[in-house]
Amino acid sequence: MVVVSNVTKAFGDVVAVSDVSFTVGPGITALLGPNGAGKSTLFRMLCGLAPPTRGTVRVLGRDARTDTAVRGQIGLAPQQDGLFDRLDAFQFVEIAATMHGVDDPRAAAHRVLDIVQLDASDPKSVGAYSKGMRQRVKLAAALVNDPAVLVLDEPLTGLDPVQRRRMIALFNELAAAGKCLLVSSHVLDEVARLGSRILVIAQGRLAASGDYHALRELMDDRPHRIRVEADDPRRLAAALLGRAVVDGARVDAEGIELDTLDVDTFGRQIAPIARELDVRLRGVRPLDDDLESVFRYLVERR
Amino acid sequence: MSGTVSLFDSVRVVYRVLLRQLLTRGRLTALVVIGAVVVLLGWLVGRTAPDEGFPPLSAAEIAMQQLEDGVFVVSLVGFTLLVPIVALVFAGASLGDPRDDGTLVYLWLRPMPRAGLAVGAWLSAITVSLPLTLVPMTLTAIVLDAGSELVAASVIATIVGILAYSAIFVLLGLVVKNPIVWGLGYILIWEGLVASFGSAAAKVAVRGYLSSILTDRTGVDLALGDLSQTAGIVVPLVVAVVALALATLRLDRLEVA
Repeated sequence: MVVVSNVTKAFGDVVAVSDVSFTVGPGITALLGPNGAGKSTLFRMLCGLAPPTRGTVRVLGRDARTDTAVRGQIGLAPQQDGLFDRLDAFQFVEIAATMHGVDDPRAAAHRVLDIVQLDASDPKSVGAYSKGMRQRVKLAAALVNDPAVLVLDEPLTGLDPVQRRRMIALFNELAAAGKCLLVSSHVLDEVARLGSRILVIAQGRLAASGDYHALRELMDDRPHRIRVEADDPRRLAAALLGRAVVDGARVDAEGIELDTLDVDTFGRQIAPIARELDVRLRGVRPLDDDLESVFRYLVERR
Repeated sequence: MSGTVSLFDSVRVVYRVLLRQLLTRGRLTALVVIGAVVVLLGWLVGRTAPDEGFPPLSAAEIAMQQLEDGVFVVSLVGFTLLVPIVALVFAGASLGDPRDDGTLVYLWLRPMPRAGLAVGAWLSAITVSLPLTLVPMTLTAIVLDAGSELVAASVIATIVGILAYSAIFVLLGLVVKNPIVWGLGYILIWEGLVASFGSAAAKVAVRGYLSSILTDRTGVDLALGDLSQTAGIVVPLVVAVVALALATLRLDRLEVA
């Protein structure tokens, strides 16, 4: 349903997306990556909002930038917060339906506002809505034309846990109905709950793809860097290296920076070895456990 | 369930959305105040008796003097400042604001012809700008007490001016980041200064054509407008159509945030 072929997008000297290719069919596909990785730029190109510098993007076999009709088959909930703040939720969604040429815009607006659990009769303008309510208005507007392809840029941001669960259930229902959903996120756990195929985007490139478990394994198998603070770091480092618990060590006055491929073995052995050497451990903490470093590793290993 | 939308329907729905967005209390208050100042200025000029001189001027000469003063005030304050500035504020914001705040995506990513967006934005800007200029300009022409021809000329030129300037500024809002700053530069430098260099220069400024309408109807020579009233009406309308066509093309090629 969506084919992205060798797409590059540059803004002057800055390359936001670099030679990305993937194909997406019905179901949920999550774009996972840190902020600024190029996810929103990819979505903008997919919807025709911006042309690629190189490569092609096709939605249902057509280019949304030039093909008016295919735009009626796309529902986009953009990341940016801006809405027509002087309209109420019903007016906003009804206007979206009218602009899509929906047969009965009022009925369609009622239907989707009900799905996202917003009150269609609420006279308050969307400008007075909370972040979570605005997010739901965007989702309703994206759903109102019953699109074949849904592009949802960080759709769970700002939602409370109950709403998140409900939205994820809704995404799964839509996927089961044969819709193609592209959902972006920078939160790994969020993506895990979608139970979807994952495309990892980092530094504008497609760093990895697969299901959640495959990616989790990939991430766990990477080299880990750990900081150990101890009374006698030099002796402790020598013991850890000598017993092949770690692959590398840099010692300083306060402690050791260690590299290991087997973080589980390290976790099991560090305390017994320290006790055996009568070295007091003051602290053990990972230096690269944030998602950014995981993404960096995935990019570098390509 | 959904399909493409006709040009007429797209104009109607875009007009409905943008009109609501344009009507802010701050903008309306500021521009009503400016309009009131223009009327007050006209009233003060209208109450100032022409210098009778020596030998005293005849009644016909006094009336002519009043008409010349009136045309000068209407042209200078009305068509150099009020009409273009009001048009700039609303037309520049009609698509410029959605472009800046990211809401243009909700108009752009729809199965609608791009011309519907440009025309809908233009009509919404006109709907707000026209009463905010037509009322003070007509009142100014009346309190200047310079005859019915000045009133008629002011009404016609205001309508033509708003139609043309609004289209130009809808386009400007799609081309530059700060349409108000660029628009003020255009109004003050191009329309105000360059067009005053003579009738040839005035032909490349909307103000020259509006002045032609004033000159043609009142007989007062403004040095800027030596064209017929018909040219004064038709050329700005052609400019409006061209500007809207360019805005449509611009929308087609725009990168939407």
